[in-house]
Amino acid sequence: MRKGIVLAAAVLAVCALPMAAAADEAPKKIAMICDSSINDGGWGTACYNAMVQACEERGWEYECTDNISQNEYYDSIASYCMLGVDMIYAPGNQYTDAVLQAAEDYPDIAFALLNGAVTTPDEAVNGNVTSMLPDAQQIGWIAGAMAGLMSETGTIAFIGGMELDTTLGKYAGYTEAAQFVAAAEGKEITVLDPVYAGSFDASDKGIEFAKAMIEQGADVFFGDASAVDSGARQAIDEANKEAGEVKIYDIAQPADFLGQNECIITSQVTDNSAMIAVTMEGVENGDLGGETIFGSLQNGGLSAGAISDLVPAEVQEKYNTYIQQMIDGEFMAE
Amino acid sequence: MSFVSNLLLASVRMAVPLLLIALGELYSERAGMVNIGLEGLAAIGSLVGFLTCFISGSTWVGILCGALVGIAVNMIYAFATVTLCANHTVYGMAINILAPALASFIYRIFFGSGSDLSQITLMKTINIPILKDIPIIGPLLFSQTPMVYLAFLLVILTGFFFTKTQAGLNYRAVGENPKAAATLGINVIRTKYLACVICGALSGIGGAYLTTCYSNTYTEGNISGRGFIALAAVIFGRWSGGGILAACLFFGFCDALQIRLQVASVGIPYQFFQMIPYVATVIALTVIGSGKSGPKAAGKPYRKEER
Repeated sequence: MRKGIVLAAAVLAVCALPMAAAADEAPKKIAMICDSSINDGGWGTACYNAMVQACEERGWEYECTDNISQNEYYDSIASYCMLGVDMIYAPGNQYTDAVLQAAEDYPDIAFALLNGAVTTPDEAVNGNVTSMLPDAQQIGWIAGAMAGLMSETGTIAFIGGMELDTTLGKYAGYTEAAQFVAAAEGKEITVLDPVYAGSFDASDKGIEFAKAMIEQGADVFFGDASAVDSGARQAIDEANKEAGEVKIYDIAQPADFLGQNECIITSQVTDNSAMIAVTMEGVENGDLGGETIFGSLQNGGLSAGAISDLVPAEVQEKYNTYIQQMIDGEFMAE
Repeated sequence: MSFVSNLLLASVRMAVPLLLIALGELYSERAGMVNIGLEGLAAIGSLVGFLTCFISGSTWVGILCGALVGIAVNMIYAFATVTLCANHTVYGMAINILAPALASFIYRIFFGSGSDLSQITLMKTINIPILKDIPIIGPLLFSQTPMVYLAFLLVILTGFFFTKTQAGLNYRAVGENPKAAATLGINVIRTKYLACVICGALSGIGGAYLTTCYSNTYTEGNISGRGFIALAAVIFGRWSGGGILAACLFFGFCDALQIRLQVASVGIPYQFFQMIPYVATVIALTVIGSGKSGPKAAGKPYRKEER
């Protein structure tokens, strides 16, 4: 009897070996949720592309669900967890509560939260949440420096989707950099109060906001609002076309979108793929996270994108000097 | 241009898709069909309008295809509610669930799950010489896309049809008392199907307007509750073309106002302005919403053999 049990156990073990090996060899999976569209030409697009790039580099498989509403955040995450993904990628501060809840319910899965707070990983009871945190102030600086240099009317604008902490941080950085740079140029800059569409997919609101802000004299725009930004760019392009020249500009984010619309003069670029890849590497080594990964100009997590020919050469030179000062920690230091 | 002039222009821009969808609902309700599936019909119209415009390069093809797909999808509602005498609300809601999901599915089939932003060239504005230069009214009424002119023309034709023609009176009779209408020789079933065709077409056109005349990109969820606002506009407009026009302009005005006040604000929390359209709607429906009700047989199934 005992022999029989041992034999059966041995057979099972032999049978299980190839299965275990196959499981080890199976590519790991990541799933992304997003409340905007991955085709929005802005935030959703950049975050999706970053995940795809990281997956291609590390041989992971990926899934994505976009255009989900707030009440679907948790259910979408939980569905992927039940399907057996190794990691959930939630690109936005607004997913924090859903991620923390799911991280508690699914302790063996890693969660990567883009724009989470520094304290978010500590709030996860199972220590399986990684916060990827690009420096919002520096993001604002990168856009604000260009806005301060390029504005001729002395009025610049900012459009937000929702009033998130990171959005407020970007607006603050945008304002201080624009005013600092403009002062150095002997100009005065007025930054219009931030406006919020209340969602990230209302491109029509972007159109109307941009039209209204152009009427207020704004000639450089920056936004943190996904498809709303695409609508704003449409309105800017239309205004430029009507004027017969490109005199109103937009600064895109968080990837290099130069060429997508005529009005885009540069982009603030966040290397989300590098931060995702770091989290993936941890998962491959059995580490489910629990830390905050910072993205900054200093570590290459943030950068300025390509600059349009609409920006005069001497302005480009000044801008690049400011960017170097930001990297060196000397910007606005005096 | 002044603040007021730009505000009114924005109001018209935001009111036209509402107007087209609400007129569709008017034709539906006048024949006794309470179709709450407008959101879904506009969603599928928006996608198909964008897609066909993207492929063909013609905004008119986009508008036409938006209308056709609106009709096709609304035939599900028509068959269920007219032929099978099913509950209007249930099938309207079913359309609201089915059609946006179908739009999302078609979009992914065509564009894949890639991340390129697809853009189209919008319908051109037609400027009517001399008239467009009239202050305030000029840009408002004489410098718009042909779809805006058609929407306004439709309001006039609708008012005329329902009040001045025999066909319009027969049509209204179906919504008021279908059995009495049938005894007078009016084909009730055919009128109800016709109502669904018109409602589907106009709702689809309303959706297609958004992606061929307003925004040059397609975003899932771009209807943003316009189908439900249009439903409210029909009640607010007391089931008349002119009333619906006024209601849609009012809703468009409130939305345009909150956007412009956000931009112009100094230190006032933006949430205060975002409340304006909703508060105004509640007040308006409270003040104007009582009194005369809609067609008597609205939402009731019509069974020929029933006493």
